[in-house]
Amino acid sequence: MTGFVVRRIGQMALALLGVSVIVFALIHFVPGDPVRTALGTRFDPDVYEALVRRHGLDRPLVIQYFSWLGSALQGDLGVSFRSGQPVTGLVLERLPATLTLAGAALAVALVVGVPLGVVSAVRSGSKLDYIASAVSQVGVSVPDFWAGIMYILLFSLTLGWLPPSGYVSPLVDFTGWLRHLVLPALAVGLVSGSIIFRFVRSAVLEALNQDYVRMARAKGLSRRAVLFDHVLPNAWIPIVTVVGLQLGFLLGGVVVVEIIFAWPGIGRLAYLAVGDRDFTVLQGSVLYIATMFLVINLVVDLLYAWLDPRVRYD
Amino acid sequence: MTEPAAETTVGVVAHRSRLRTTAETVLRNRLAVFGLVILVLLVLVALAAPLIAPYTINEVDVANRLQGPSSQHWFGTDELGRDVFSRVIIASRVSLQVGFVSVGIALGLGVPVGLIAGYYGGRIDSILMRLMDILFSIPAIVLAIAILAALGPDIVNAMIAIGVVYTPIFARITRGSVLTLRDAVFVQAARSIGASDLRIIGNHVFPNVIAPIIVQTSLSLAFAILAEAALSFLGLGVQPPNPAWGRMLSEGRAFFQQAPWMAIFPGLAIFATVFAFNALGDGLRDALDPQQRSIIESRGRS
Amino acid sequence: MTQPVLSVRDLSVTFRTREGPAKVVDRISYDLGPGETLAIVGESGSGKSVSSLALMQLLPTPPAVVEGEAIFEGRNLLTLDEPEMQKIRGNRIAMIFQDPMTSLNPVRTIGHQLMEPIELHLGLTGRAARERAIELLHLVGIPSAEERIDDYPHQFSGGMRQRVVIAMGISCEPDILIADEATTALDVTTQAKIIDEIKGLQERLGMSLIWITHDLGVVAGVADRVVVLYAGHIMEEADVDDLFRVRRNPYTRGLLASLPVPGRTSRRLEAIPGLPPDPLRPPRGCPFSPRCPYVADVCVREEPALREPVPGHRSKCHFDPEDLHA
Ligand SMILES: Nc1ncnc2c1ncn2[C@@H]1O[C@H](COP(=O)(O)OP(=O)(O)O)[C@@H](O)[C@H]1O
Ligand SMILES: [Mg+2]
Repeated sequence: MTGFVVRRIGQMALALLGVSVIVFALIHFVPGDPVRTALGTRFDPDVYEALVRRHGLDRPLVIQYFSWLGSALQGDLGVSFRSGQPVTGLVLERLPATLTLAGAALAVALVVGVPLGVVSAVRSGSKLDYIASAVSQVGVSVPDFWAGIMYILLFSLTLGWLPPSGYVSPLVDFTGWLRHLVLPALAVGLVSGSIIFRFVRSAVLEALNQDYVRMARAKGLSRRAVLFDHVLPNAWIPIVTVVGLQLGFLLGGVVVVEIIFAWPGIGRLAYLAVGDRDFTVLQGSVLYIATMFLVINLVVDLLYAWLDPRVRYD
Repeated sequence: MTEPAAETTVGVVAHRSRLRTTAETVLRNRLAVFGLVILVLLVLVALAAPLIAPYTINEVDVANRLQGPSSQHWFGTDELGRDVFSRVIIASRVSLQVGFVSVGIALGLGVPVGLIAGYYGGRIDSILMRLMDILFSIPAIVLAIAILAALGPDIVNAMIAIGVVYTPIFARITRGSVLTLRDAVFVQAARSIGASDLRIIGNHVFPNVIAPIIVQTSLSLAFAILAEAALSFLGLGVQPPNPAWGRMLSEGRAFFQQAPWMAIFPGLAIFATVFAFNALGDGLRDALDPQQRSIIESRGRS
Repeated sequence: MTQPVLSVRDLSVTFRTREGPAKVVDRISYDLGPGETLAIVGESGSGKSVSSLALMQLLPTPPAVVEGEAIFEGRNLLTLDEPEMQKIRGNRIAMIFQDPMTSLNPVRTIGHQLMEPIELHLGLTGRAARERAIELLHLVGIPSAEERIDDYPHQFSGGMRQRVVIAMGISCEPDILIADEATTALDVTTQAKIIDEIKGLQERLGMSLIWITHDLGVVAGVADRVVVLYAGHIMEEADVDDLFRVRRNPYTRGLLASLPVPGRTSRRLEAIPGLPPDPLRPPRGCPFSPRCPYVADVCVREEPALREPVPGHRSKCHFDPEDLHA
């Protein structure tokens, strides 16, 4: 187990390093001079000079990378090409909003996908299974941003139940915060929920067909006991893995949905940075999102190992 | 043990004779057939779009702006009085094109990487797959946004970005299948008679990993079209004045209350296309995926 | 004759498949005496597993349709309700399966899985259940059971796992143990050891044993009586010595001819040519007629009855053994 944990953490560190190279390289993919591009019509030779010097863009690439990496490790991602504010501060300010939305969306996805998936598998071939499977087939094909727009159209503009967009801090107005959270969380969560439903259903179906399930029934256990004591503990293992992978998809959905709902998270920050050609802010946003994804996947893998004795006792 | 010997020794031949049963299985799967029918319709519409479209895409008619669906304008008109129906069907061309080209890129990069990593193993394998892991560790749409931000918003760049983003999936799937084959009898046999690696990979390994790749191709087309729509929605894909579903959606947002059809119909078009590829992919998986098949066949075992 | 523990009468199992009904067990009847070992032998797919799963009500219905009777202590097992059946499964009638690799749940400890029937049927809990489990592991020959009880299945070898499965089977001292290909997945030496152990346990516990196998070779050393199953039909039933002395049925002859004879390795094995019939399209007449070397007109026209020309020896064939000429 410790071997596995160490190996897995090492892998994550390596992946992070790779991500940092990609993120660093981002600026250097920009055709021409990124700072000049960023400043555009507001070009001012003094600001230009300052930015180039601040980011060391006049030094050789390798040195640039390592000094960038060194600062990044200390939490310094440079300053915004646009506003001159520190990037780390800009990103961290928006991190809680993104985490909240991602967490809420995941909660929706799990609450919808897991129980329905289990029931569908146990009653496979039933009307419920048929309907749930058909709905999920639709669910996986709906673009989340379109779903978001349709929800706004229906629940805000037509029915007037929920606010169409925006954000209030839960510390100021908790129910207001919750009301703002519902639609974006549903937009992202229901799509992921459909995918999770399908995996749960097939994982449970697969577990149900194992010999040890028949053996457990032959020992006199009830269907219910077999389900909870033998089927599900085995089904969780692939399910946990898939939920981990789903998180990448879910984070991507969060990024786009943030924009529709004017949700002040990292996705919206990145989007605005793209429009502003503010490459340092974009770098910071991408780095944080990728790190979040890697950390979550690490946690998921450790959970996986803990669930599976074949890995735990290795 | 119950596996017929022919299947394990002469993979290529076995595959060809299996084509028929595969086709039959796919055609028996109602969902797959449904997806296939939608797809064929979509492709026909896309090919014939300039002939079918009642208006040209940029036929401005301000007098008739923001009109609801009618017999003249099936899907209504937009803020400039352009015909939404014409724009939706013309836009299907670019969506399908981006889908096919970007998945083509992903295939072209991912499959060779997977073949090489799986076949040679060892250090080459670790290096290539770690690289893929790194690409995989940035959520796809975020990576695509980053690539497009650097390269500049443009349809060709969007295809490249989506293609790069989906490369690791193909590399992983191919490698996984190759690993199960590397020590198979027919590969060993080919090696023992001195066939070159290239020849072995091309003649023996590749034909046996096609099935999972085909399944993944169909599913990835669905993802790619979703990704293109998202990128165009964000203004990073297709540039005006050309219509794209994602772009039409985002333009429609501003006129939401007066003209909901501007957002509804392009969204439905995205949904139908993605649904068709997903359904076909699922049907293909049922027909081609060996694991699924073995469950069905295991009925015959003791 | 003593009262049988289990009387199976006209047991049939039909699967409703997309291509139509498939009758995979066709009106089989047999008795199992107290302490007796009955072997059910037949090629893969002949309905051995399905017929015994049907007794335990462990077939999914649908698609399976089960008909007939299986009388155990005056009650028909096939019509008992689920709670009643749960009291019998693992307790009065236990069943163990072919593959020791897959019969154990990989994410539960051996002890957990072994204590389940003990807690359920014997009402033992905590320490007592654990001690009983350790005792059982000792009984089936697992060394240092006290420590190994908390191990997971993947930490055991194949033979050891099958011993654990056997321990689960006998944990509540059942009246009947159904062993479905219990040793098939093991190597020959381990197989012989396990068979010895099961026989020993059977004597100590006085249980009846239904020994299901496709290998007629091991039957001689294990069984008292033998039922030969082909395509869901009983083709022959006899005391084990009778069966080996007078093989009344052409199918049994074919089966025996395909056995390797120890010491006579040079002889070619004569596998029965052809394949068992597709249960969706059973042949007219005798189920074995398409493969039978002695086939006559009547065999294709009429299904033979399961006749009992000699008391205690039944054979499903139109002919007597001395009349069979190729
Ligand atoms: N769930 C099922 N649906 C349809 N047919 C089945 C099912 N389970 C078993 N069968 C069929 O029943 C027949 C008998 O199977 P089985 O009893 O497992 O044979 P064996 O004698 O090898 O144990 C086989 O032809 C098998 O294909
Ligand atoms: Mg069997």
